[in-house]
Amino acid sequence: MADQKRDEIPPGTLYMLILRTLARGGEMHGYEIANAIQRGSEEVLQVEEGSLYPALQRMLIKGWVEAEWGVTAGNRRARYYHLTKLGREQLEQELSQYRRVNIAIEKILQSA
Amino acid sequence: MNWLREIWRRVKFLSHRSQAEDDLAEEMRLHLDLRAEETGRDESRRRFGNELLLRETSREAWGWRWLDSLSQDLRYGGRALAAHPGFTITAVLSLALGIGANTAIFSIVNAVMLRALPVEDPQRLVQLRSGKNGSFTNPIWEQVRDHQQAFAGTLAYGDGRFDLASGGESRFAQGLWVSGDFFRVLGIAPLRGRLLTAEDDQHGGGKSGPVAVISYAFWQSYFGGDPAALGKTITLDRHPFEIVGVTPPYFTGLDVDKGFDVSIPIGCEPILHTDISALDHRSWWWLRILARLKPGDSVPQAEAKIQALQGEIRRATMPTTWEEEDRKNFLKDAFQLRPTATGFSSTRDRYRQGLFTLMAVVGLVLLIACANIANLLLARAAARQREISIRMAIGAGRRRVIRQLLTESLLLSGLGALGGFVFSLWGSRLLVRLFSTALDPLDVNVSPDLMVLAFTSGVALLTGLLFGLAPAFRATSVSPNHVLKENARGAIAGGSRFRLGKMLVATQVALSLVLLVGAGLFLNSLRNLLGTSMGFDRRNVTLVQVNTLEKVPKERRVELFRTILERLRTVPGVTLAASSLITPVSHRGWNQFVFPEGYAAQSREDTLTWFNRVSPGYFRTMSTPLRAGRDFDSRDTKSSTKVIIINEAAARHYFGGVSAIGKNVGMDLDGKTGEKELFQVIGIVADTKYVDLREETKLSAYLVTTQEAEPRGETNFILRSAVPGATLTSAVRAAIAEIDPGLALEFRDFETQVNESLVQERTVALLSSFFGALALMLAMIGLYGVTSYAVLRRQGEIGIRMALGASQGSVVWLVLRDVTMILAVGMVLGIAASLAAGRLVTAMLFGVKAADPATLAVCAAVLASATTMAGFVPARRASRLDPTTALRDE
Repeated sequence: MADQKRDEIPPGTLYMLILRTLARGGEMHGYEIANAIQRGSEEVLQVEEGSLYPALQRMLIKGWVEAEWGVTAGNRRARYYHLTKLGREQLEQELSQYRRVNIAIEKILQSA
Repeated sequence: MNWLREIWRRVKFLSHRSQAEDDLAEEMRLHLDLRAEETGRDESRRRFGNELLLRETSREAWGWRWLDSLSQDLRYGGRALAAHPGFTITAVLSLALGIGANTAIFSIVNAVMLRALPVEDPQRLVQLRSGKNGSFTNPIWEQVRDHQQAFAGTLAYGDGRFDLASGGESRFAQGLWVSGDFFRVLGIAPLRGRLLTAEDDQHGGGKSGPVAVISYAFWQSYFGGDPAALGKTITLDRHPFEIVGVTPPYFTGLDVDKGFDVSIPIGCEPILHTDISALDHRSWWWLRILARLKPGDSVPQAEAKIQALQGEIRRATMPTTWEEEDRKNFLKDAFQLRPTATGFSSTRDRYRQGLFTLMAVVGLVLLIACANIANLLLARAAARQREISIRMAIGAGRRRVIRQLLTESLLLSGLGALGGFVFSLWGSRLLVRLFSTALDPLDVNVSPDLMVLAFTSGVALLTGLLFGLAPAFRATSVSPNHVLKENARGAIAGGSRFRLGKMLVATQVALSLVLLVGAGLFLNSLRNLLGTSMGFDRRNVTLVQVNTLEKVPKERRVELFRTILERLRTVPGVTLAASSLITPVSHRGWNQFVFPEGYAAQSREDTLTWFNRVSPGYFRTMSTPLRAGRDFDSRDTKSSTKVIIINEAAARHYFGGVSAIGKNVGMDLDGKTGEKELFQVIGIVADTKYVDLREETKLSAYLVTTQEAEPRGETNFILRSAVPGATLTSAVRAAIAEIDPGLALEFRDFETQVNESLVQERTVALLSSFFGALALMLAMIGLYGVTSYAVLRRQGEIGIRMALGASQGSVVWLVLRDVTMILAVGMVLGIAASLAAGRLVTAMLFGVKAADPATLAVCAAVLASATTMAGFVPARRASRLDPTTALRDE
């Protein structure tokens, strides 16, 4: 694993990734979210896993996600997050913005 | 409102933050454990990052840090305030009073001077003016309206007062004459029905006949908000008008201090005024003209456009009877435009000085209150010196401690502001009532808006810093070691804090003196104004205005008014009765150029004379002394020689004294023919006040009703009685109804009319006296506080002195010496400040100089004795100390 090339998550996209992951997976706790992102990017994206938690806190404040305590399969207490309506709207916004920017960058790269 | 929700979430989380922190920790632990099961501890840690840092970041996400320390400070401050309820209550109350008074006056200033009109895009409204004049004739308005191209829209309006009663005593509605486009140009939508249109504004009324739009307030008060009011008919001066619409509640007209009840089209004017209509009159200046700028136009651009059109407008509307000189001026006088987003206000013009003076007065009171609180806080800070020193010794930064102390001050001023705000709601209404008179009711919307809220919070912040900063810096400026080594009383810190305290009290004394002197000057002015020789006796006189509303033909009016006068003289209680066209000090007037026999006028203005038309017996009824010649009487009839009575000033001015009797005065009374009629001077009467009590004596003259050919439709009956005027009204009403029940009557008390002309002087004098007394009280409290503290501090010394045999008297003197010092410094500062401040109010004074030595001396004496008393109480207490107890305490 150590030799595998990993990239940092581009700044500003962490929220989008978390929102997307939650949108797909429904209710998840932090560890599951981290794993899902890593797996979803085929191990390319490097999450400093802990930074998930400050991000989740901010998302709670903004009202994009809500959290409830539940129990994991291994019978441990875990906080499960799920998207709110506001979060879904935010995801839509971030996705479309991301795509717009992406297309713009692609265009420049192609024309170069 | 996203930020609001966010703050709410933060606050919510703050309330169970330890729970939230535990949650976060548990969550992270779970994550680490799960990862460790997969990859081992080390890798798990590496991937997770710096846990502490992360936790800190998460915490910051909630904004915990600042909220945290703020809530800590607030809790701490709250406890400190609660620990000294006496101090807290005194401070909050005096702040509430100070901030409340400031806010109350600011609410009025805001309402009449700062707030924009509630119309569409008020910034683009301009008023048409020419020279100093903002009124125009209807012919000019119609010309401006027909030269629309300079503007996006134009409107005109005039004030009116309509009688709603069907007979007997009048019930007036505040009226507006409005042009057809009035509401459209302002962008007002109807609340009910429809508003007026150009179609309604035709000479003599439009297709729908005479129609009226009523205000929301009138709809509520007169019709109880009944939707069926639409289509109903109201009578205005006995003429029916159909109500077609109601304006929305926020629109109360363009005058911010006068609401309106009914608005009717200008074109309906001939319906009400059948004698002479104002519509075609070229010298009746009764309309204001406003315009809305075209998009993109600036005021100068629009002004240039209207000036280009002005020659045409002027020529088409020039009064024909004017003299050559006046005509030339009329044509030359250029139209100007003035931005008018804040509307019109007679208060703004009339009471501007009064309001600003009061603002300064209550500002000073607030300063004095601040000085007091600063003083009390200083005393407290000294007492808390140990606590603060300990906190600083164990590592609290100076800034942190200052912040803590300031939070406390701001908490205090915040509480004061809260109380003040509530107080101002009531205070501003009281002020409006004080400034409001029967003749000129003030109807200002003083409900607080964002401006007022911002003002109050700004004042609270400022005062909190003002009285909090000095004690906070003082308390933290001493090295902790120093204080901790000293005894519990903190003698060293106390000494320097005491000097600052004395300075604060001296400042208080100085400011109080300024306020007292101000109050003294205003009271003197008011007394002078009321004591000034008015030329009449204002007591026990009832005025009855009788209006025929033009239902009685002109030729019958002389006879009608004479019959009424005869009848009124027989009403029980009435001792004397007369009638007059104008009543003194009613802010109405009639002036005229005269051509006295043998008098060479220096200029046109030199012969401008103020007139009244009165019945025989007028001077006796008013108690105006006849200086020479005779009064009007039954000899003066339509066919006899035309006669005139002039006042002493006019006699002196035109004829050099009594030789005036028998001389002739020429006049062009109707101003139409240019021919001069001759009037013979038969009497000279004492000078009287005409328009108001502050005026210089005017040249004036009187004509007699019995020689008037076509009297106006209204006149005033003046009844002098031995009994209070209010008891007469029903008998008078009945007596007039016997003669003609259709007449409109309005009763007024002459003394009230005179007093009301001094409403600004009275209000300023009343309020500045009140606040002066308050300032005096605050200064006494301040001096008492600082002296008591000094006594406490010097208890040991006093005890020793007494043990050594000092007399009670010498101890009292020991303490009073300090008081005298403070007083002396305060007085010197105060006298200098009073003289400086006096110059600012010179214009508001009457018969008294701003630097009046008597006022200054009396105020200084009052202040000195009051404050000495305040200092004497603790001094006396000191002299009664039991030396042994005092020494033991030490």
